Amino acid sequence: MLNIIKTEWLKIKKYPAFWWVMGITALTYPGINYMFHSVYLNITQKDTQRGKILKMLIGNPFSFPEAWHTVAYFSSIFIFIPAIVVIMLITNEYTYKTSRQNIIDGWSRTQFMLAKMIDVLLLTVIVTVLFVIVALIIGYTNTDDHTASRWSMSYYTGLFALQTFSQLSIAFTVGLLVRKSFIALAIFTFYFIILEPIAVNVLKIKFNSGAGQFFPLEISQKLLPKPAFIGRIDEAGYQASLAAVKYHVGYTFALVVLTWFFCFWINRRRDL
Amino acid sequence: MNNIAKSYGKIKALNGVSFEVPPGSVFGILGPNGSGKTTLLSIILDVLSADQGNFLWFGEQSSPEQRKKIGSLLETPNFYHYLSAVNNLKITNSISGRGDAEMMLAVLEKVKLYERRNSRFSTYSLGMKQRLAIAAALLGDPKVLVLDEPTNGLDPVGIAEIRDLILELSKKGHTIIMASHLLDEVEKVCTHVAILKKGTLLTTGDVNDVLVDDDLVEISAADTSVLSLVIKNYCNDIKITRDGNLLQIILPKGTAKLDDINSYCFSKGIVLNHLLFKKKRLEAKFFELTNN
Repeated sequence: MLNIIKTEWLKIKKYPAFWWVMGITALTYPGINYMFHSVYLNITQKDTQRGKILKMLIGNPFSFPEAWHTVAYFSSIFIFIPAIVVIMLITNEYTYKTSRQNIIDGWSRTQFMLAKMIDVLLLTVIVTVLFVIVALIIGYTNTDDHTASRWSMSYYTGLFALQTFSQLSIAFTVGLLVRKSFIALAIFTFYFIILEPIAVNVLKIKFNSGAGQFFPLEISQKLLPKPAFIGRIDEAGYQASLAAVKYHVGYTFALVVLTWFFCFWINRRRDL
Repeated sequence: MNNIAKSYGKIKALNGVSFEVPPGSVFGILGPNGSGKTTLLSIILDVLSADQGNFLWFGEQSSPEQRKKIGSLLETPNFYHYLSAVNNLKITNSISGRGDAEMMLAVLEKVKLYERRNSRFSTYSLGMKQRLAIAAALLGDPKVLVLDEPTNGLDPVGIAEIRDLILELSKKGHTIIMASHLLDEVEKVCTHVAILKKGTLLTTGDVNDVLVDDDLVEISAADTSVLSLVIKNYCNDIKITRDGNLLQIILPKGTAKLDDINSYCFSKGIVLNHLLFKKKRLEAKFFELTNN
């Protein structure tokens, strides 16, 4: 196992595109949270009646403990950026035919796929650490009440990590099946940004069906419901979405297992 | 290798191919384009799975551990384009366990890439990429090498260097399995050959047995047409081809006696102005076998 990690690190550490995209991710996650934080401050710090009412109603979603939830939700919007790296890491292996060279040099197909799974795990860890740093900075700079429970909602770190791993695994599967980086990126981005959200909403609004929650990305989207200040516009719906999280933890775990089972299976079966 | 078969849809790429590679041999796999050479090598390196048949490495079932002991170059040089030669060899070393940092530099020196060892693979010419692939195969001095078209993209000097390298490795007792369409190369370095056509094994064995199974004699006279008519009655098993003013006659192995041919022609009133015994070249044999 250590040898596989070492080999993957040799592949990644001098891969410029990896560091570029990680740099973009490192800017994007704080950036999106800073943006929403600024919007919040803009509205609530106005000395108007409306501003005061809003502040009273929504509280401060950027203070502890709700900061964990808010930052997790906003950060998760940009999952497609680390997904670019995941797709490139697998499609490069096919473009350069190094996937076959790794086998020729002495890896089994299972070891090759394990190496790729480690890449996805590594990215999940990096992105999660980034999330924790952003959440801590935003939480500490917005929490006046020293008695506030700073860690009570830190379990959102686990939910964020699970969602990230699940969605990056889907991106990986697209890369594995398509093998061409640009096509895989286009398919994943189109599906992530357009196709699935439309399909989920069409099912919900037109057919009054909840089947959309079992779509590959929506399954784990439900791990991070809209933050309280948005969700409470529909209090009943918000509570229901919070209650559904524990079920979606199970569904997401099942999806992750199925996704990787499929990836290992297809890699074992097909010619390189 | 026992009864290896592989199909791509309706196309049979390999049709029950069986042969054994003697240890210490330089084994050439020959065949026209699309004859199944690379498919065969891909199967024994576990890149493709065979539809039927099996093969053994070192007398045992194939496994990743077995492949680690084999230096291989399959079809094209496969490396990470953004990494240098040294960093690519580090990956080869990390996966296979073959060689160490010192050996990496030694093999790069051997294939004349030492000066460019820190340049990215993407900046290499085709020949340099091929040299790096050969360096990776040589890493750790493996006892068995599988080389698919090893001289692809190399200049004449590079081709000669690879030929010398193969001969040097062969002298040291290494086993080399080599697919090539450069018959001249195969003829110069191989001790054994297998010839494939459309996925079927036509012949295999010691290169001298495969090569010299007929006698080839070149003759000419003032009137080639008359000579052609006369010589076809020389014996029953004669085959004649005409090349300009020269006639090439092929006789069963060991039956071509130049004195007898000369006397026969003279007795029929023909004076030969050219009479030459030629070892039948692999190229001729190859064309004959593959009907090209």
